Amino acid sequence: MSAVRPIEVGDELSPVTAESNLAASVLYAGASGDMNPLHYDLSFAENVSPTGGIIAHGMYSMGLASRMLTAFAGGPEHVLEVDVRFTRPWPLGTTSTFTGSVTAIEDGIATVALAGTNESGDRILRGTGRVRL
Amino acid sequence: MALQREKVGTTYPSYAYEVSREKIREYATALGETDPRYFSDGDDCVAPPTFAACFTVIKGGAAAFADPELGTHPAVVHGSQRYTFSGRALRPGDVLTCTPRIADISTRGANEYLVIEVLCEDAEGHHVVTSQATIVLLGSAPAASPDAPAAAGQEVAS
Repeated sequence: MSAVRPIEVGDELSPVTAESNLAASVLYAGASGDMNPLHYDLSFAENVSPTGGIIAHGMYSMGLASRMLTAFAGGPEHVLEVDVRFTRPWPLGTTSTFTGSVTAIEDGIATVALAGTNESGDRILRGTGRVRL
Repeated sequence: MALQREKVGTTYPSYAYEVSREKIREYATALGETDPRYFSDGDDCVAPPTFAACFTVIKGGAAAFADPELGTHPAVVHGSQRYTFSGRALRPGDVLTCTPRIADISTRGANEYLVIEVLCEDAEGHHVVTSQATIVLLGSAPAASPDAPAAAGQEVAS
């Protein structure tokens, strides 16, 4: 008998929390190849940003939500789909928390609702993931 | 100039992307990943799922944004992103053939929504990952209707 109980609808994933700061944003820009100055250059961001300041890459928030999903799935080979909307900007210098909950299980595939919430309360990301159990 | 809807379905020339161990490490480090396989020197090395961002977001959109007949402009934000995988992880040495396609063009309020799909196959021709990026072009919708939601542009962020 296994000590690990099966995944059930309603299960919550272990959340991921991260601060977006200039170092993290520059690192992500270099790693991903997305060099849009909106994500590290204040004088540029002041003119074009929806917040008037530097904001994190949407893909950085997706990467963190996916990190949580992949840990839950037991590795990247179990991840079938990650699908998110970037619903609000994530201002640099603030912390966001990514959460997930299992909404369906069918044919060995779990569907997970994903959310990213900024410390301001803004929902910066929402979406779904599908993983093979 | 607004986006030209007759461009929906256009496929741009494929480009190649070779997955490397060091790039996987760099990407995993940027996300604070701790799975030792992302940092492995051995055959067990794999990439996190959204490593696909490295070869689909900027590279995948480059041809569309360089197409003078499509009607893009630089005031854009990344509205949404979807990756679908075939049940295997990306690995060092994978040589992917990536083919971008204009999957959809629509408008909502003052903004236009450009959906760029990138189909990525390995050297054997097996599907590995498909990217679907929705890029929001701010303010360029033709004849935006006056009852459109005024805050539409604030619903999105890159």
